[in-house]
Amino acid sequence: MTAAPATTAPSRPAATDRPHRTDGVTGRRRRRALTGWLFAAPFTVLFAVFMAVPVVASLAMSFTDLRSTDLRNPWSVDVVGLDNYVRLFSDALFRRAAVNTLVFVVVGVPLTIVAGLAAATALNSALVRFRAAFRVGFYLPVVTSIVAIAVVWRFLLDPEAGLVNNLLRVVGIDGPNWLGDSSLALPSITVMAAWRNFGFLMVIFLAGLQAVPADLYEAARIDGAGRWAQFRHVTLPMLRPTLLFGAVVTGIGYLQLFEEPFVMTRGGPLSSTLSVSYHIYNQFGFGNYGYAAAASYVLFVGIVALSALQFRLLRSSE
Amino acid sequence: MSTMDTPVRGRDRAARIALYAVLVAGLLVVVGPFVWMLLSSVKPEAEIRQVPPTWLPETVTLEHYRELFSRLNFPRYFGNSLVVAVLTTAGNLVFCSALGYALAKLRFPGRRVLFAFVLGTLMVPGMVTFVPQFVLVSNMGLVNSYAGLVLPFLAGPFGVFLMRQYLLSIPDDIIEAARIDGAGEWRVFWSVVLPLCRPALATLGILTFLASWNNFLWPLVVATTEDRYTLPVALALYSVGQNRIDFGLMLAGAVVVVLPVVVVFLVLQRHFLRGIATTGLK
Amino acid sequence: MRRQRRLWLAAAAAVLALAGCGRDAGGGQDGARSVGDGKATGEITVWAMGTEGEKLAEFAKAFTTENPDAKVTVTAVPWDAAHQKIASAIAGKQTPDISMIGTTWMGEFAKTGAFDPTPLNFVDKSAFFSGAWDTTVVDGTSYGVPWYVETRLIYYRKDLAQRAGITAAPQTWDELKTFAKALKEKAGAQSGLYLQPGGTGSWQSFLPFAWSNGAELTAGKDFSIDTPEMTEALTYYQSFFAENLSVKNDLGLQGALEQSFISGKVGAFVSGPWHVGLLTEQGGPGFADKFAVAPMPRKKTATSFIGGSDLAVFKDAKNRDAAWKFIAWLSKPEVQVKWYQAVKDLPAVQKGWDDSTLKDDPFLATFGLQLKDAKSPPPMATWEQVASVIDGQVERVAKAGENPATAVKTMQQQASSVGTGG
Repeated sequence: MTAAPATTAPSRPAATDRPHRTDGVTGRRRRRALTGWLFAAPFTVLFAVFMAVPVVASLAMSFTDLRSTDLRNPWSVDVVGLDNYVRLFSDALFRRAAVNTLVFVVVGVPLTIVAGLAAATALNSALVRFRAAFRVGFYLPVVTSIVAIAVVWRFLLDPEAGLVNNLLRVVGIDGPNWLGDSSLALPSITVMAAWRNFGFLMVIFLAGLQAVPADLYEAARIDGAGRWAQFRHVTLPMLRPTLLFGAVVTGIGYLQLFEEPFVMTRGGPLSSTLSVSYHIYNQFGFGNYGYAAAASYVLFVGIVALSALQFRLLRSSE
Repeated sequence: MSTMDTPVRGRDRAARIALYAVLVAGLLVVVGPFVWMLLSSVKPEAEIRQVPPTWLPETVTLEHYRELFSRLNFPRYFGNSLVVAVLTTAGNLVFCSALGYALAKLRFPGRRVLFAFVLGTLMVPGMVTFVPQFVLVSNMGLVNSYAGLVLPFLAGPFGVFLMRQYLLSIPDDIIEAARIDGAGEWRVFWSVVLPLCRPALATLGILTFLASWNNFLWPLVVATTEDRYTLPVALALYSVGQNRIDFGLMLAGAVVVVLPVVVVFLVLQRHFLRGIATTGLK
Repeated sequence: MRRQRRLWLAAAAAVLALAGCGRDAGGGQDGARSVGDGKATGEITVWAMGTEGEKLAEFAKAFTTENPDAKVTVTAVPWDAAHQKIASAIAGKQTPDISMIGTTWMGEFAKTGAFDPTPLNFVDKSAFFSGAWDTTVVDGTSYGVPWYVETRLIYYRKDLAQRAGITAAPQTWDELKTFAKALKEKAGAQSGLYLQPGGTGSWQSFLPFAWSNGAELTAGKDFSIDTPEMTEALTYYQSFFAENLSVKNDLGLQGALEQSFISGKVGAFVSGPWHVGLLTEQGGPGFADKFAVAPMPRKKTATSFIGGSDLAVFKDAKNRDAAWKFIAWLSKPEVQVKWYQAVKDLPAVQKGWDDSTLKDDPFLATFGLQLKDAKSPPPMATWEQVASVIDGQVERVAKAGENPATAVKTMQQQASSVGTGG
């Protein structure tokens, strides 16, 4: 996939193209640079104004003790340097939230990717009809309001009347109080999050699967590869950029886990489902803007680290 | 074409049945809450709150929908949401694919830094830029305007990332061929490359529309008068109180909010079927 | 030479700007400017949440009839994230003239300096319940006025109590305990008295017991949580969980509280006036006769929690005089009664309770009685965070059986590190 575009042009561009340049390659390179920047311009301008500036502003905020009470006079706050960051690591709640979030990500991301890939592959297969119905169906949790989802899942997990425990009772197991037990609440939320988000990945993987040329599968089949081998040697490698994308985006999303604990358990019981984002949300709610900004940037570092790791593992040749 | 196998053989039958079984089971699990939401929106409030919850409504009532449409200036809020979502989606599709193309296929200085920066902002938790963004928008005089609702989201890093990854897999020969034929870069992009990206564009379109449509906090804060509220904000007005939640109204509202997204999805998902016509190159 | 002068100019400008930007000294109550005479004129912009937001525009038409040159524009704001909206408006200097502010938010927003002090020669503070007025006082200055109030009572099943052989509502702590036991053992309730086992807002169930035992949250500028009275109250609260008189999961969070009360699984619980309507609606015909409310039981006093919302005028208001006139109108006893009839918000003005609409309703009369002895936490800028500290320890005590004395010490220590933001 990596042709070298520069060498396919005719040997020497006519002197009429560039009266002041004798070296056509430089001119072309310049033009290409200009074109590149022109394409990039609209996005970059909007981005610089509405994204870059606030990001820098909030980074500055994290080095101050800005509270909500200072909002009318944001310039009169004290600069406290790294104080907020240091305080974070002695904050027992933050440490708990960090552990909870890490566990959630390490288990949840692979779970969701596998589910999404399985669904996408299944729906891409010629064996299946009513593809559209399945596609829409699997995507529904992504679009359904978290409140409706929460009500149904709370019912499913209800220790007495819930479906899960009733099914377990059929095979003789006395199911626990899933959301009320501080050691089971986080796993329950993990499963629920994977269930909710795999449709999103399915949609992305489907697009990626569509990009795989049919002749590659043909060639593999001619070479005697069975379906699983085709998957391993044709699909997966071709899907690498998309898989990387899916992993990074899901990882970023999951590190910012918020809605599920917010609606289902309020971070409990006993802070077992408190995530870093939820903790940050609480701090913003308390008005500790500087402190919350610092926690956000620690989270940011975590996100960057995870994404860098994923890039390294799944890097496609560019 | 796409990855469709040719004739179905005998032993594919078993595979097919197994596949269907798993898919249908998965579908039931997945679609459950949506169905519950739909069914419950026509139950009276007391029945909705029953523990254990019922599936099929014992009494069917349209009171929540009636209340929704009479209390809310529905066309206005729906219209606002639609305008904002469409503008945001269209903008993202154009700007993000343009930049994605530049990052993937055009060599220009600073592209690596730009990509790293854009990717970096994707990783910044959303909450933290909220207050600075609002202060910025108020200072620009964009409060309570469509511009204020749309502009901050037109340049979404997610879209750039998605388009770039997808565009990386488009063969360079097609692009070179078009260039040799004398097309200017914009024409190459617009007429040759973009049509090949339908699946990715459809994906980005759906996801951006969804995010914009469901956006709650920003429109709430930017709109200072009710006539600029979007649908989720208006719904929250009446269904969540200080001490009580009106479940019926909230569910009816949730159904109403979900439907346009499902429609957009149904319309765009046809484009997932289009594959890349690479066979044409040979 | 020139460069030096430019630097001096820049520095001077910066100093002047910063001086202008300094934290507002406030000027205190005496700094409150008086309000002009005559009728209100011009547009008055008001933000209100929930049902209040929905109904106020129509209701305010009566004000416009009395003040024909004035116009009241109400923007309804959802409760979800109203706090964020107000904070952002203050930051972006996009505030309306008036906003409805929840009582527990007053401390924080008043500290931003965004509010206009109440002109005491224009507004009569003695007209309001003292507990309600106290929610508007931050650092000795009052900002805004109370609009409506709510307080907490014990809801209980009359019929189950009868079955358990109880003839009168419990009046002391000991009687409450006996009452809960009887409801459980003789009337089959799973929770004789359901108490919130920690979680958001559980302080509203716990603090009444603390206050009734003479405990206080603050003494001057410091926290005074670690006291024997507080520990005793927390031990009493814990005993309901320890003796299995209350379940340990948060029924409110599950949305199951009302149904559990209606089905008899919960014999009694603590809540505010909104549950009268909720239970009557959901309980079906005749259920209203099956339950009653009782004041908080007595230890040293029988104190409950007072909440509600205040109305505050912003410093950056474009139409300040008219805003205060509108607020004065809303505080008239007859207007407060009419507002109750429209929206079911309890009047914050004491004279409003003399009206027969309120006096003759058996439920409401009890709420009115309780309002005479009801407190709220002292308004402080950091209240939300301090509340979560209390909620966290109440959860540990209720669910994990933590020693109340240790929990109280932890509350004191964590609250002190948060500070009062003063």
